Amino acid sequence: MTTRQHSETRSSTDEQDSENDEQRTSTELGPSKLVGENLAIGYPTTDEPVVECNNVVLPEGEVTALVGPNGSGKSTLLKSMASHLTPERGQFLLDGKSVQEFESKELAKELGLLSQEHDSPGSLTVETLVTHGRYPHRGFFDTLSEKDYDAIDRAIDLAGVEHLRETETANLSGGQKQLVWIAMVLAQDTDLLLLDEPTTFLDLHHQLQVMNVIQTLNREEDVTVGVVLHDIGQAARFADNLIALNDGELYDWGPPNEVVTEELLADVFRVDATVTNDSVGPQITPHCAIEE
Amino acid sequence: MSNESSVGATAETGSRDKNRFVWLLDRRLLTTALGSVILVAIAGLLQVRYGAYSMTLGEVWAGIFNPNVIFNLDAWNSFLFGSELPEMSRDSLIIWELRLPRVLVAIIVGMNLAVSGAIFQAVTRNELASPFILGVSSGAGLMILLTLVVFSGITFAFGLPFLPYEIVFRPSSWLPLVAALGGAAAFLVVYLIAWKNGTSPVRLVLAGVIVGTVFNSMQTGLFFFADNIGVVQSAIAWTTGSLTGTGWEEVRLVLPWSFIAIILAVAGSRQCNVLLLGEETARSLGMSIEKVRFALSGVAVLAASASIAVAGIVSFIGLIVPHMVRNLVGSDYKKVIVGSLFVGPALMVTADVGARLGMGAILGADLQIPVGIVTGLIGGPYFLYLMRKQNNMGQI
Repeated sequence: MTTRQHSETRSSTDEQDSENDEQRTSTELGPSKLVGENLAIGYPTTDEPVVECNNVVLPEGEVTALVGPNGSGKSTLLKSMASHLTPERGQFLLDGKSVQEFESKELAKELGLLSQEHDSPGSLTVETLVTHGRYPHRGFFDTLSEKDYDAIDRAIDLAGVEHLRETETANLSGGQKQLVWIAMVLAQDTDLLLLDEPTTFLDLHHQLQVMNVIQTLNREEDVTVGVVLHDIGQAARFADNLIALNDGELYDWGPPNEVVTEELLADVFRVDATVTNDSVGPQITPHCAIEE
Repeated sequence: MSNESSVGATAETGSRDKNRFVWLLDRRLLTTALGSVILVAIAGLLQVRYGAYSMTLGEVWAGIFNPNVIFNLDAWNSFLFGSELPEMSRDSLIIWELRLPRVLVAIIVGMNLAVSGAIFQAVTRNELASPFILGVSSGAGLMILLTLVVFSGITFAFGLPFLPYEIVFRPSSWLPLVAALGGAAAFLVVYLIAWKNGTSPVRLVLAGVIVGTVFNSMQTGLFFFADNIGVVQSAIAWTTGSLTGTGWEEVRLVLPWSFIAIILAVAGSRQCNVLLLGEETARSLGMSIEKVRFALSGVAVLAASASIAVAGIVSFIGLIVPHMVRNLVGSDYKKVIVGSLFVGPALMVTADVGARLGMGAILGADLQIPVGIVTGLIGGPYFLYLMRKQNNMGQI
């Protein structure tokens, strides 16, 4: 599965676009880190699957952003990638092996997931919290090894929270907390990192800081990243690929300048907007919400 | 500023201590431990000195540090393995054979209950959890009543093929073990009820309440069938928790299990820490949550059952000690567990002073009350104090 295939679930209105996509299929790409095929994912409490799509790919060494409106199934897809949810049909292959087949600690050495919700007991220091990221690498009676300490230092450094090392997590701001949690996932030292809305609820400064950490990690450490983002503009700016989900189905996927179109914004996000492509990437100027 | 922090970091990296136990050298933890040890020493001294036969401090000193006992292998053999007791002075005999073992039992029971409570609070993520939240006390209580009331005069005799003698089983002489097993069985029932594609803290607590309610009703019902006041008093002593009459035999009974439970609890404290980061995070970090939760609960039940076997169902220690410790040393579970190992005994030994000598001091009567009554009397007001002081209690 080294070529991009386009989903067949796309609405029939843009046939012309589909033809362009055929060409994209032939574009050679590097190997895929994570591949999902023929998926139907749901929760035990729901009858119908929440997400159904034929093909989801996170290309190795690239940043892929999952975008879509609320309830489109982004988080569900991400949870399923990390084996927190077992798909009703299909499976995700991590380096060719089904994620369900991994022993839980083995998977956690390959794949790190930062959930949307996490709680931390108040009087933990940042360093202690980051140390927990080494959990999958330690046996029941193991102490921290030199390698563990190095990974912890590197994670704290990468996330830029060195100055907070001895601070208790209860005394951190929302943005600092998010960076510290990212440091914890980084300490896990995985080749694939999944993040569920890491920038939501943060001020602009911290949003950019989080995105920069992700970018650095991707470029310097060659970590493959899958990230759910609420802000499509941000996704277009930072991601190499976008996966656009609409109502549990794959709407489109590819590089930002191909995926981010006025049709996408109208069909998926139900927003009337102008998209201009410049050197930085697609720029979105939203005008108004489209009435049902 | 940045310069300063980087200097601090290198200094720290340089002096990084590879010792497994370096975190024990925490000022708050050491203070807590020291304070608890002093409290245990004072309360223990009171227990040893006073009673029906009171001694002077000098006599107590001479009796405890009697070289004929301390350096006598036969004496230790007798204490720890139950062999014949060698000759010793009257004071030493009273101290070493009667009063000191009771203090020791109190220390061990205090450790067990405190650690058990701390683990259950992490597993259920609820500050109001106690060692008995998952049905352990109700199962043990029911078995105690059944043994005392229904099976009191009954002897089970099993004739085995190929063996010339038969195995005689008299439930009443195995009361401690029967009680502990009843507690563990109730815990398993609770787990079975709570299980549905895995468990959750809320399901576990609810199942515990359900099983507790049913078993407690049956237990109360059995009181009606008790034919004399002695049986009722004995049942009450067991179900409220009492250290009256405990000696070296109880120490021997409880020590090995407690040792295992405490080692596992300290080793498992890191699992508690990760569990407290939330289920999603723990799973992302590769924890097999259901396995860890069951294993930790098992350790906590082992500790609780061991203490039930020698002291009955002592309430409140397991509930308030982890609370106090968390307030004293912070929420890192390694420190909470170790702190509980000190504060638990301090509270238990102190409460037992009240149970053994309290009525004598107040009424002048030679009467002992179950220690569970005293722990309840201390625990209630302490909780009231916490409730007034803290705004949000409940979830950890």
